[in-house]
Amino acid sequence: MTVAALTLDGLGVAFAGFKAVDGVSIIIEEGELRVVLGANGAGKTTLMDLISGKTRNTSGRVFLYDTDITHWQEHQIARAGIGRKFQIPSVFRELSVRRNLEVASFETPGVFSNLSLRQTAASKRRVEEALELTGLGPQADRLAGGLSHGQTQWLELGMLITQNPKILLLDEPTAGMTQAETHKTTEILNALRGKHTIIVVEHDMAFVREVARRITVMHLGQVLAEGDIKTIEKDERVKQAYLGSKGIM
Amino acid sequence: MQATKLRLNLAVYLIFIACILLAPMFLEEFALNRLAKFLVFGMLGVAIALSWGYAGILNLGQGLFFGLGAYMLGMSLKLASPTSMAQGSDTPVPDFMLWNAEPGSKTDLCCINGGSWLWIPFQSHWFGILMGMALPTLVAFGLGTVVFRKRIAGVFVSVITLACVLLVRLLIVDAQPLTNGWNGLTDLGVLTIGETEFDPYSATTYYLVAISLSVTLILGRLLTETRSGMILQAIRDDYNRARYLGFEVSSFQVFFFCASALIAGYAGMLYVIVAEFASPSFMELSFSITMVVWAAVGGRGSLIGACIGALLINVIETSVSETPALVEAWKVIIGLIFVLVVLFMPQGIAGLASSVTDRALERFSGRAARLRQADSQHQPAE
Ligand SMILES: Nc1ncnc2c1ncn2[C@@H]1O[C@H](COP(=O)(O)OP(=O)(O)OP(=O)(O)O)[C@@H](O)[C@H]1O
Ligand SMILES: [Mg+2]
Repeated sequence: MTVAALTLDGLGVAFAGFKAVDGVSIIIEEGELRVVLGANGAGKTTLMDLISGKTRNTSGRVFLYDTDITHWQEHQIARAGIGRKFQIPSVFRELSVRRNLEVASFETPGVFSNLSLRQTAASKRRVEEALELTGLGPQADRLAGGLSHGQTQWLELGMLITQNPKILLLDEPTAGMTQAETHKTTEILNALRGKHTIIVVEHDMAFVREVARRITVMHLGQVLAEGDIKTIEKDERVKQAYLGSKGIM
Repeated sequence: MQATKLRLNLAVYLIFIACILLAPMFLEEFALNRLAKFLVFGMLGVAIALSWGYAGILNLGQGLFFGLGAYMLGMSLKLASPTSMAQGSDTPVPDFMLWNAEPGSKTDLCCINGGSWLWIPFQSHWFGILMGMALPTLVAFGLGTVVFRKRIAGVFVSVITLACVLLVRLLIVDAQPLTNGWNGLTDLGVLTIGETEFDPYSATTYYLVAISLSVTLILGRLLTETRSGMILQAIRDDYNRARYLGFEVSSFQVFFFCASALIAGYAGMLYVIVAEFASPSFMELSFSITMVVWAAVGGRGSLIGACIGALLINVIETSVSETPALVEAWKVIIGLIFVLVVLFMPQGIAGLASSVTDRALERFSGRAARLRQADSQHQPAE
């Protein structure tokens, strides 16, 4: 039996009449890794903004398992179990890599519950796991601001690992990466697969081929097609709208 | 290496605290009083570093909290002054209230002029002290809640705080019958708690200030080491990132804004004890900006750095003021120092010290690693 981890029901937003996301309904199963494809401006980032609470939707609802999280505040959505990686990598630049991971691992939202010098064993363990998985161990004591672009992306991924959400929203995690770096990112994602439900927006087709089982294609704010990689490659509308007639690649 | 650095940091705190606690053995009372004033300014440096360096909130109106603290205790001490008892009433009445009395009113705090009853509870020194801490904190809480809930950040916060301090200064100057306007509260009595009198030139008062500063430094530093302190620094770097990690960003900002205000308010009270006056000049813009310069020079990223920055600049200023030719130039000098620091030493003296130790530690640990390597190469031969 499969369980729906995230349900988008007719989700939409209009910016001054312009519908950036328009009636999107998607069901993501628990443990799934879903790739979202779409041309520039298709509304992929905006969709993630709607799920994570950055943008308030004007129609539709979002369910995390059975909980309706529509219109919750950002930190509440995060605490409910949705973690997010931004398209422009964002980390705490003046803090060390380890400190970045530690902060992400803290388990309560408010100031008073965090007025303590101690860190829980579980949170320490997750920090070590994240250092291991991202290979950032040797950089642990360096300031995050001094990392290379690829390392910054991995650090942000690592922060999501220590945050330990049920669902990961990853917006172009391989953007600007070299081939070798992209490959390593793929490995990290494959290690996370199954433990978390993952939604990843990506342009890099090598990456998509390596990780994707199920793909959702967006176009002009709407879902154009959904299915496995073969179905998507054959889909005529997808070819016309996005991929050209050459198929994926 | 991180651990070594933390230990060095601790050592700096302990040495500093030992120095200020031992100072009375070497200084006569006039110099001691002056040093006490500087330590109060050091405390303001700590308050600025906490909000600017750690929370990324550049408060250009820290003088508001300092001034509120000062006025609250100042009111108590004014009522304790002998002149307040000599106004022909059984209960103390500040002399300036008589000059501003409503015609035909009774010489008593209850009704000498509109609002004078607000002074009644300040006959208790404890009440003055309590208000000196509570009022700045509450004002900071109100202001902070509005500003940070609305997600106002950066230079807008600075502008709002700046406007607030100027506004309150106007109100105080305007409420002449209650506050003595421009002149402020002068001719104050001596703070008395139980049997202890805090004469401004006594070693007792100096110790009060020195111990208060030590406790503030230690508690402040501990606070920054808590999980909340770490999250606060994360919020400073990228509040959005912190928000999507599940932190209620505004609660951290409000809390540390209040903590900084409490320290400033407490410093204001100490200043009144040591300097024997409270005045609207505490809420002049230039004073709040001067505090920021202290913190910038000392290093806003370090509580003790900002504290030492305040001490250093005041010591220099005092020695400069003994050379008449330089007095006029002082404002230019301090402006120049500020510009140079911002350009070439953005993390101030503390930042400089930190990177020097980093380099020293690196060289040291590098050498240790090489020694170890050499050792292990020797072993097979043995
Ligand atoms: N806050 C906003 N106000 C107005 N228009 C917006 C806003 N956010 C997004 N849009 C518009 O919505 C459309 C979708 O943008 P979005 O960033 O979601 O695209 P995307 O699929 O992520 O594209 P890319 O591949 O370039 O990242 C774009 O036309 C964009 O200009
Ligand atoms: Mg995008």
